[in-house]
Amino acid sequence: MSHLEQQQPIIRFDRISKQYDDGTKVLNDVSFAIERGKFYTLLGPSGCGKTTILRLIAGFTESTQGDVFFQGKVINGVPAHERKVNTVFQDYALFPHLNVYENVAFGLRVKKWKKSDIDAKVKEALRFVNLNGYENREISEMSGGQRQRVAIARAIVNEPEVLLLDEPLSALDLKLRTEMQYELRELQRRLGITFIFVTHDQEEALALSDEIFVLDKGVIQQSGTPVDIYDEPINRFVADFIGESNIVGGTMIEDGVVRFAGKTFECVDRGFNPNESVEIVIRPEDLEITTPELGNLQAKVGSQLFRGVHYEISCNDDAGNEWLVHSTRKALVGQNIGLRFDPEAIHVMRIGETEEEFDKRLETYGEAGNAHD
Amino acid sequence: MTKSRNLFLVPYLAWMVLFVVAPIVLIAYYSLFDVDGRFTFDNYTKFLSPVYLQMTLNSFWYALLITVFSLLVAYPTAYFLTRTKHKSLWLLLIIVPSWINLLLKAYAFIGIFGTYGFANKVLELAGIGTKQILFTDFSFVFVSVYIFIPFMILPVYNALDELNPSLIYASRDLGASPWLTFRKVVFPLTLEGVKAGCQAVFIPALSLFMITRLIAGNRVITLGTAIEQHFLVTQDWGMGSAIAVVLIIAMAVIMILTGSGKRGALHGSQ
Repeated sequence: MSHLEQQQPIIRFDRISKQYDDGTKVLNDVSFAIERGKFYTLLGPSGCGKTTILRLIAGFTESTQGDVFFQGKVINGVPAHERKVNTVFQDYALFPHLNVYENVAFGLRVKKWKKSDIDAKVKEALRFVNLNGYENREISEMSGGQRQRVAIARAIVNEPEVLLLDEPLSALDLKLRTEMQYELRELQRRLGITFIFVTHDQEEALALSDEIFVLDKGVIQQSGTPVDIYDEPINRFVADFIGESNIVGGTMIEDGVVRFAGKTFECVDRGFNPNESVEIVIRPEDLEITTPELGNLQAKVGSQLFRGVHYEISCNDDAGNEWLVHSTRKALVGQNIGLRFDPEAIHVMRIGETEEEFDKRLETYGEAGNAHD
Repeated sequence: MTKSRNLFLVPYLAWMVLFVVAPIVLIAYYSLFDVDGRFTFDNYTKFLSPVYLQMTLNSFWYALLITVFSLLVAYPTAYFLTRTKHKSLWLLLIIVPSWINLLLKAYAFIGIFGTYGFANKVLELAGIGTKQILFTDFSFVFVSVYIFIPFMILPVYNALDELNPSLIYASRDLGASPWLTFRKVVFPLTLEGVKAGCQAVFIPALSLFMITRLIAGNRVITLGTAIEQHFLVTQDWGMGSAIAVVLIIAMAVIMILTGSGKRGALHGSQ
């Protein structure tokens, strides 16, 4: 029955709301469950409530309403120092008056471990983050990336059930950040514990996570695997926030038939009312530039940027919609072109649909879609 | 450029020479003459006699008491100040009394602590009865602490205010209780402020003289009192100067020992 144990969430939020004294609501009726051993990401713009969720788990703040469960027990009133989670802070929050060794040993000293045990454990943690030999360095002598690793070592040395990471990569430069992304992912696999990672960087979220919670305005907009969220965004916000999207208004004539940009197309989406107003998402990489005759839509190239891997081409169709295309081939500004796409590239979103309704509707035709593949 | 900049330095240099360097040189000079104007080292040998050594010990002891009590009151105060909503307003309210003339405050305390003063009224009402409060060690230390507290609060407050709050979160996160967090993180990181505060209290407290007379009724004789007496009463400027020289050297030594030499480690982390 170990499978069942695995299924029991390690952390659960039950209808959590958080309101500050001045009346601003940061979290609004948020519920979710965190499973053991997975890499979770809380993704959203600043002020969406993602850091508040982390602080609620760590015990630095209290919810106004609702319960936080840890291993099945309510932990609302439990102070931070009695919780079995550890945090890697955004600014690392390393103790400047202690050297690397003492920083990492801090948690174990507090727990009154034996000296020899502390020594072994600290050395092991430092080896884990590739910092062996740095024990006697002062924090001020460490680079940004090294401090990052000290912060991680200081947290994992306590063997937490859950490691909370509050935008830990945001202070690093691009190259180091990419490097640390790989290391974090690798670290999570080796430790096998739950990571809850907070970021506003959608690329980071897509690259690292087993599961992403997309947050906006104190509400979880969508949760799911990176692929699910990228391919099937629930609404305009998610589609816009994760990756680049072309979003246009349209009408669902009937299941499998959608009309937008003045034309009618075949699609795979189902479960809509006849003639329902909807929003349509097509990712820029799913659009292909052809001659006007071969295209599903006819458009005119407005502008073009070279992005390295691809050209980013902006064009306007006859109905006045703007389409962003990622193409490895160059286009000419002012040229008349055709835009070609498959029915599978069209993603139709029902306006104002909740995540539950969305998941249910997806199930009704998801099977058929898979069989088709 | 350099010429005009040098010109701006003139008032400062003139001030330093006239009011800092010259007096010190004069005091050092006077300390080498006896009452009759003869050159001698007697003033310094006299200083090594039990009377003056006792006085020195007294001065250091009271200065230490004043510093310790100031710190005991000021640290918690500063700690809570940094956690209040309108912290600069509260800080201002604490600093404002230090703008009032020292003499006025001393007289106010004579009124409060006197036989028919407010303090004794309270004691009577409490059923304890009238007590001799004025002219005791207690009143001397109490009033001195009251006067010096703002000088202790300010540097401690600044140190606490600069403390990165996420360090406190980090400590709690790693399992340290609030008290342990204070002991292992907050206090060590505000030690520079505490040192600065102790300097700002201990050094002036060494040479207190007016309060010793007004509040302690000359029952507490410190080096400060002795200097005043030698200059104004016995007219033995040489001896007064010699004590002053010793005091200046003592202060310099204390400043060097407690040192403003900030440890790099404390300021390394961003």
